[in-house]
Amino acid sequence: MKIELTSPIPGKIMKVLVSLGDVVNEDDEVMKIESMKMENPIYAPAAGTITAIGVKENDEIEVDDLLLVIEVAS
Amino acid sequence: MDKWTFGVTMLVVGMGGTLLTLGIMSLIIALLKKIFPYKKEE
Amino acid sequence: MLEAFANGFSGLLAGFLHLQISNVVMIIVGCVLLYLGIKKDFEPLLLVPIGFGCILVNIPLANLMEPHGFLRTIYDAGIMTELFPLLIFVGIGAMTDFTPVLENPVTFLLGAAGQCGIFLTLALALTLGFTKLDAVAIGVIGACDGPTAIYVTAKYAPHLLGAVSVAAYSYMSLVPVIQPPIMRALTTEKERMAVMRATRKSVSKTTRLLFPLVITILGGLIAPMGLPLLGTIMLGNLMRECGAVERLTKASANEIANVVTLLLGISIGATMDGKIFLQTQTLIVLALGFIAICLDTACGVFLGKFLYVASKGKINPLIGAAGISAFPMSARVVMKEGQKYNKKNYLLMHAMGANAAGQIGSVIAAAVMLSVLKGMGII
Repeated sequence: MKIELTSPIPGKIMKVLVSLGDVVNEDDEVMKIESMKMENPIYAPAAGTITAIGVKENDEIEVDDLLLVIEVAS
Repeated sequence: MDKWTFGVTMLVVGMGGTLLTLGIMSLIIALLKKIFPYKKEE
Repeated sequence: MLEAFANGFSGLLAGFLHLQISNVVMIIVGCVLLYLGIKKDFEPLLLVPIGFGCILVNIPLANLMEPHGFLRTIYDAGIMTELFPLLIFVGIGAMTDFTPVLENPVTFLLGAAGQCGIFLTLALALTLGFTKLDAVAIGVIGACDGPTAIYVTAKYAPHLLGAVSVAAYSYMSLVPVIQPPIMRALTTEKERMAVMRATRKSVSKTTRLLFPLVITILGGLIAPMGLPLLGTIMLGNLMRECGAVERLTKASANEIANVVTLLLGISIGATMDGKIFLQTQTLIVLALGFIAICLDTACGVFLGKFLYVASKGKINPLIGAAGISAFPMSARVVMKEGQKYNKKNYLLMHAMGANAAGQIGSVIAAAVMLSVLKGMGII
């Protein structure tokens, strides 16, 4: 099952903490977005494998832009 | 005017007036958004 | 000859001889403000000039605040005339994006609830024996907005200007410390975890342009005494949204705001003469200011709880705390707290909406307050 993580806030990607193929747990920190002069950590919505990353560092993003896709282990 | 009357008036009319004013403003903005909806080309 | 020497020399000693205990204490107070601003990052743009102005005015015989003294000249030019806080307000309007409020007009109510502390503290100050206008100035610390507090206090209770300004700016910096415990105490775990999804709604340019006009005209008609405050912040916002006067918008948000902030700060510091500042009532003012912000937070969260129930769990009560005018500190606090209880919760945009609404709310509250006072014949 694929879960898309879309951005909950507008801003700039500060750091992408995972790479394609990484296995993450639910609530692991996967990236940092800078918004309103604040560093905002973004957490994985579910446990699984990262199958797609839609952004890179310094990208300017809007709400609902695709951040990454997680394939949930069944 | 004694302080009691003053205080209660400020509390009721002041706070009430603030809530009412902001409430009216929120209604007007909601109305404006209906009249001038967002268009993607902007 | 010797007499001339003695007289000349006495000119150099006179400062020390006229130094009073109150001056020494206030110089220390000024240094504390500088420390808070420089080392602790407490609103340095204001606290540094205020702290330094405070030190300057408490060095005796310089007569900086006497007629023709340079601090008096600045004070008369900008504080007596109310120009300084109003010009800063143009800058604030030019810097603030009100779209999150416009996207969800319900947030206006949160911005209103966040001002309850003003009126409650006003009542409290009255019971403690302050005069009506003093109580008004103390209450307005709860507006959590520097220029608003300065505007009201400079006009109606100028002897409290130092205390009110120091309180307002210090507590704004303390928002990350003051708010979370209150937010935690007044909400249940389930309420705190309510997830709010941000949506990419947007607002038409026409609405964004009409917003400052509507607020100014309507607000001005309802509360004309507050039109200077309302009009200036909305002018700034109109300039920002229309995009046709970018040079003016940039100047308001940067050069003008910066210059005026500096002058405002030193003139406020200049009012902090030991004889006026060092009274028990100053400490009470500082305490009441603290209470005002706590009450603001509590009332905002309470309305948040009401909206949580009314929306069947769609609105997280924590964003009510962002209904105060401490922009954007309070929104950041709400975002952090929300994420603490539920990592999947990103309240930032909703909190920003409430926070911007709080900015408007505080201006309207002050405007309403002043107009009611005028109606009652007190001013």
